[in-house]
Amino acid sequence: MNIRWDYLLIPAFVVSFVLLAASQLTFLRGSLSTDLGLGMLSPTIGTANYETLFTDEFYLRSLWLTIKVSAIATICTLVMSFPVAYVIARMRSRWAMVMLAGVVVSSFVTIVIKVYGLIVIFSAEGGLNALLMSIGLLDKPYTIIGNVPGVVVGLMQFTMGFGVLLLYGVVRTIPVSLEEAATIHGASRARVFWRVVLPLSLPGVIVGSLMMFNLCMGAFTSASLLGGGRVFTLPVLIQRSVIIETKYGMGATLAAVLLVSVIIINLVSVFLVKRLRAARLVIA
Amino acid sequence: MSVKRPSIGSLAKLLWVGWAYLFLLAPMIVVIGSSLDGTKAYTGVVFPPHDLTLQWYKQIPATHFRALGLSLGLALSVAFGACLLGIPAALAMVRGTLPGKSFFLAFFRAPMQIPAVVTGVAFLRLYYVVGDATGLFLNATFAGLYLGHLFVATPYVIGTVVAVLQRFNLRLEEAAFSMGASPWRTFRRVTLPTIMPGVHAGALYAFMVSFSDVPIAMFLTAPGFVTYPVELFFGIETDFSPSVLASASLVILLALVALLLVQRVIGLDTVVHTRR
Repeated sequence: MNIRWDYLLIPAFVVSFVLLAASQLTFLRGSLSTDLGLGMLSPTIGTANYETLFTDEFYLRSLWLTIKVSAIATICTLVMSFPVAYVIARMRSRWAMVMLAGVVVSSFVTIVIKVYGLIVIFSAEGGLNALLMSIGLLDKPYTIIGNVPGVVVGLMQFTMGFGVLLLYGVVRTIPVSLEEAATIHGASRARVFWRVVLPLSLPGVIVGSLMMFNLCMGAFTSASLLGGGRVFTLPVLIQRSVIIETKYGMGATLAAVLLVSVIIINLVSVFLVKRLRAARLVIA
Repeated sequence: MSVKRPSIGSLAKLLWVGWAYLFLLAPMIVVIGSSLDGTKAYTGVVFPPHDLTLQWYKQIPATHFRALGLSLGLALSVAFGACLLGIPAALAMVRGTLPGKSFFLAFFRAPMQIPAVVTGVAFLRLYYVVGDATGLFLNATFAGLYLGHLFVATPYVIGTVVAVLQRFNLRLEEAAFSMGASPWRTFRRVTLPTIMPGVHAGALYAFMVSFSDVPIAMFLTAPGFVTYPVELFFGIETDFSPSVLASASLVILLALVALLLVQRVIGLDTVVHTRR
């Protein structure tokens, strides 16, 4: 058929390219201007913001905290969602649909609502603390509001629905017959998992983890609301400097550092996966 | 097929899955539960609820309904726009003879990899610069918010449609074409129906991305013009009252209704299976 499909690419490419290039260039240019107060930016270009950022331990610690919290949340979500995804993918009853529905509803609902729920659950005078104290597991109320575990739990809530759906897709690509073959030849359940399921799903799991990690790096709802103004990840600092302090220059600089960190981490991971593949540690 | 035998392993699996679901669903259940509580109105929220009441539902602030209306309208039009841009682009990349297809695929994935806060800040900055130059300020306008969401939502449609197209049998089109169907008729009667699952899934993701977004909308809205998640975000700091929980519960119920609708009209399995 001699239809010129190529032309169809033009509208999407033009829109995406213009939005991408214009937004990224203007904000990177803004990151080179110092703040003059009241939201005004200096017309001259300089690296003053970057110098402040890389010499102030506060900002560096915040960058490290962002990466750490995102990585922990990604790993926890992965460990929690993989068995769920596996069980649903291998189910043959109608319950599989019901279980999937539960996951989809969770990803329909905005994270802010789930954070409300977490605050109610973990509030000091809430039902959970009352229960744990009455059976003697705790002697004083435990709360995750205003500390790092709280932020991790919030990020897990944010990515888990997405994670289960993604891993479900990965497990579905592994033929059951391979597992059955291994079982018939005498492999135990655990051995089937470690030698068949895990290696075959690893490429998909790595891609999925990166996507979850990227989501965590850009999310500030959980950190802002569950951090209770005490956990300063980079997204929280960016929101504060832009919205509360109207320091657009510094906000842009922080955003640029966040962006570059995410790009570097993604590139390094892709490179590592390629090396693993070359060393035949990963089948793909 | 393996023989069913209950073992410690399967019990552990059951417990693990149960725990994961508790983790996933508890916050939403707690929100609905505590919105029904009729006691201790002033000291904040109570779960499990004591006196069941619907009084908080009557006190949902009008701003919440306005914000919800904006969010729904925005998400629907973003999903529509993302399809309008995404479907042709996906067709071009799978069918076209363009060199460097992998470059374009990677290019269209870029908005998904940029951290959402960065996208928000970048668009705000862009709107200021454009506004200073032309006098047309897009921040805190529907158009400005729309462009920001369209930017991040379009890749989802492209992704799902490309995934469906790659599995598509070209012979079907050739057959229709050789039987004398016009290119447009072939597209409308053969190609479009087969890529529909991908379109549905992509549109749904685009809708969800826009409807639940906080980090981008945070920068592109203003008091009096806010999306629902942003309204709730500020509500948590200013008035953590049961009426806010009631409004959140309504949205959870809305999500359930949407899910039933999706299951009826498209089928949940199509949506989940066309994820790339």
